[in-house]
Amino acid sequence: MVAIYYVMIVNILYFTITGLSFRNIFKIYRRSKYSSYNTLSGSELVPSVSLLVPAYNEELTIIENVYCLMTLNYPTYEVIVINDGSSDHTLSVLIKEFKLVKMVNPEIRGTIDTNNVRGIYHNPDYPQLFIIDKENGGKADSLNAGINFSHYPLISSIDADSLLEKDALIRMARMYMENPEEMVAIGGDVRIANGCLIENGAVQKVSLPRKIWPMFQSIEYLKAFLGGRIGWSHINGLVIVSGAFGLFRKDYVIAVGGYRGGYPGEDMNIIIKLHRYMLSHKLPYKVAFCPEAVCWTQAPDSYKIISNQRMRWGRGNLKNMIENRGMLFNPKYKVMGMITMPYNVLFETLNPYFRITGLLALLGYTLLDMTHWRILLTFFLLNFLSGYLLSVGAIILEEIAFRRFKKLSDLWKMLLFSALKFVGYHQLGVIWRVQGHIQYLRKNNSWGAMTRQSWKEESEPA
Amino acid sequence: MFSHLTVAYTFIYVCLGLIALGIILLIQMKVSHNKEQQRREMYERKHHDYFMYIQAHVENEGALRLPPGKLKPLERRVIQDKFMEWIEQFKGECRDRLIQMCRDAGFVEADLKALGSFRYGRRLEAAYRLGGMRAEEAVPALLKMLQEGKYSSMSIIIARSIAKSARKSEDVLEMLRSLLSHGKPIHHLAADIMLETGLDAGSLLMKLLDDQDPALIKVGLVAMWGQAVPEVMPVLGRLVGSEEKDVRAEAVKLYLSSNPALKDETIVQLMNDRNWEVRAAAAKALGPLHAAGSIPLLVKALQDANWKVRHNSAESLAKLGEAGFEALCQAALSGAGIQREAALQRIELEMEKEQEHSAIEQMVAYNKKRLIHDRYFGVKRQPVARVTGVAAVGGDYTA
Repeated sequence: MVAIYYVMIVNILYFTITGLSFRNIFKIYRRSKYSSYNTLSGSELVPSVSLLVPAYNEELTIIENVYCLMTLNYPTYEVIVINDGSSDHTLSVLIKEFKLVKMVNPEIRGTIDTNNVRGIYHNPDYPQLFIIDKENGGKADSLNAGINFSHYPLISSIDADSLLEKDALIRMARMYMENPEEMVAIGGDVRIANGCLIENGAVQKVSLPRKIWPMFQSIEYLKAFLGGRIGWSHINGLVIVSGAFGLFRKDYVIAVGGYRGGYPGEDMNIIIKLHRYMLSHKLPYKVAFCPEAVCWTQAPDSYKIISNQRMRWGRGNLKNMIENRGMLFNPKYKVMGMITMPYNVLFETLNPYFRITGLLALLGYTLLDMTHWRILLTFFLLNFLSGYLLSVGAIILEEIAFRRFKKLSDLWKMLLFSALKFVGYHQLGVIWRVQGHIQYLRKNNSWGAMTRQSWKEESEPA
Repeated sequence: MFSHLTVAYTFIYVCLGLIALGIILLIQMKVSHNKEQQRREMYERKHHDYFMYIQAHVENEGALRLPPGKLKPLERRVIQDKFMEWIEQFKGECRDRLIQMCRDAGFVEADLKALGSFRYGRRLEAAYRLGGMRAEEAVPALLKMLQEGKYSSMSIIIARSIAKSARKSEDVLEMLRSLLSHGKPIHHLAADIMLETGLDAGSLLMKLLDDQDPALIKVGLVAMWGQAVPEVMPVLGRLVGSEEKDVRAEAVKLYLSSNPALKDETIVQLMNDRNWEVRAAAAKALGPLHAAGSIPLLVKALQDANWKVRHNSAESLAKLGEAGFEALCQAALSGAGIQREAALQRIELEMEKEQEHSAIEQMVAYNKKRLIHDRYFGVKRQPVARVTGVAAVGGDYTA
């Protein structure tokens, strides 16, 4: 029965967070619909932002992404691509496309330790574009190199495989300007671009993915971002701002020592460090989520890549929880210490073990006495229905505030895949997380395979 | 065991019920949203000729015709949206005529009524629309709505509507006062909202700068960036001596950006100010002023703890002719640490300008700098060796 109660308690918590998301969704809808962006996006009063784009072997997508980033509706910003020792032609395609030349004695003002920077490339015809070429050191190391070189007080980390909507940055900046003293980090909404029509570095027509793996991830992201992060943001308990798209106050990122290198999960780590720093120094602060600022990303579409990604996430999560175990149930850290961290340890990090042991116990119990098959069935139904209800909730949130998927057939497809997710995909997620933990114990610290395909190929009809 | 299972069954039934409800709600929402979208498109097509008529006659004298026939609520909304879009785009008489059209068609009246609605969503939507239609009669109600609400993104939407609709500067000031009463340092956003007003910006800025409230003065100072308002210069001169640290820094930056004549003791005072923003602004101003006497001060400022001050000092030295550039070369060769770094970077930038000169005078000036450079660093043009790690000393991120 413990397993059944565990499932019920964890789902009641999920429901509470989703409930908070529902509480906020109308406010989000209104601010997204009635806020004025046309004046702001041409205003000198908007803070300047340095976009940091770490790139490792991104030769297929990088040019389109840089063009996308250089044409945002934003008054003053710079794009800093950090080539993290790519073994492909990422650097040379950039140099060729933008006719870049190596800067002589470039000015690097920052002090965060990074791997050796081999050079910085620039072309005065594209004054807001800089390419940092450095020795391979990982994503965190690249972001730190970008911070050291950046010129503006706000930084935004963006994955090189992601496309920002033209208004995404100004929407985040509006949120920042409404509370500039307290806002230390703002996360954007990450959506799956597979299946969408992409032209000139922008998503022109939104469609659901055609392949099965990205489709599952599409539902998963909707659930995590709309169902989860809006609620967590409401109680200032966000534990992560997605590495794919986030905005940060540079002074505080530097105050916490920049990104932690040498291990995945740097996006969660920086947010935990920011919480810890602000709470330790008794400074008022907010880590917020801005769902109307959208970034489209390429989701892995093969088993190998998605399993690698999920194992990496599992490893990163475990590492972060172990590193910050001192915050657990520590009243000094308020919502983070009393709710977010315990929730993450009990219901995210350790979730697979509770579920697996519960399931094994139930199976054993049922095998011993077949008359108890009802309990097993109840356990499965509980898991499935509560999870499905959360997915339905996330789709309702999407329909209330954003309505990106217009067709009725899209709705059916989302409802169908929300159910199918529990037959195989969900279980694989549990296994991948356990495998990630094993990798952690074996001190396997690699990023894993992550191949890209060109945006052009992606948007071609199947 | 039975009671445990009963709890689980109840949980399952509740989930099932909620799922069924959720799916029904989803389908209902999707169908109604799609239907509304289709009807909107249909009405846009239906009134295409009317929209063409308005666009063709909006610049002509005389009243414009109202939309023809009896309109359905959504149809009215489609026309109102189009009018609001044009009000944003047009200026002057065209805009006034469209605003009058909104009144004549009853759009303003309907939204004024909606401001009293029980539902907050309707009230906010009405506030947004009234701002879009520049409805001055809505300002008192909007001000009340702003003052009664808690500070949030919604306050910003209401404040923008007030700024757009107000015809009296007192209303804009009242709106700013209310917005800033929550103690948030939102001066940049408040200035952006204020600049949406159709009122004369010059007199509004004067009122802001003359206000007793430092927060309002800051909004005025921030809003002045990029605005040429000569009549505020005397007020700025007074604010330079303000006791409020932020106000003083902003005032000094603005004052110096207008290239005023400065006395020697003022220059010394500003370059030694405790606030880095003031020092940086002073360093930046000295170059265009061609104040060759300030070279020693600028050379000293190359060692300032703040990057921006060092950067601006080097930039100004490069603008102070041969003497300034020579001082820069000396600092690069004999100086150390951050001073050397700042000087070297500026020298590199100046030497890179070689390709850009077309005018004879510029070429002569460049060649003189080139000669000075070669005297210090040798004839062969090659990058000056960088002392790696030096930039780390005193590095900061205050862009």
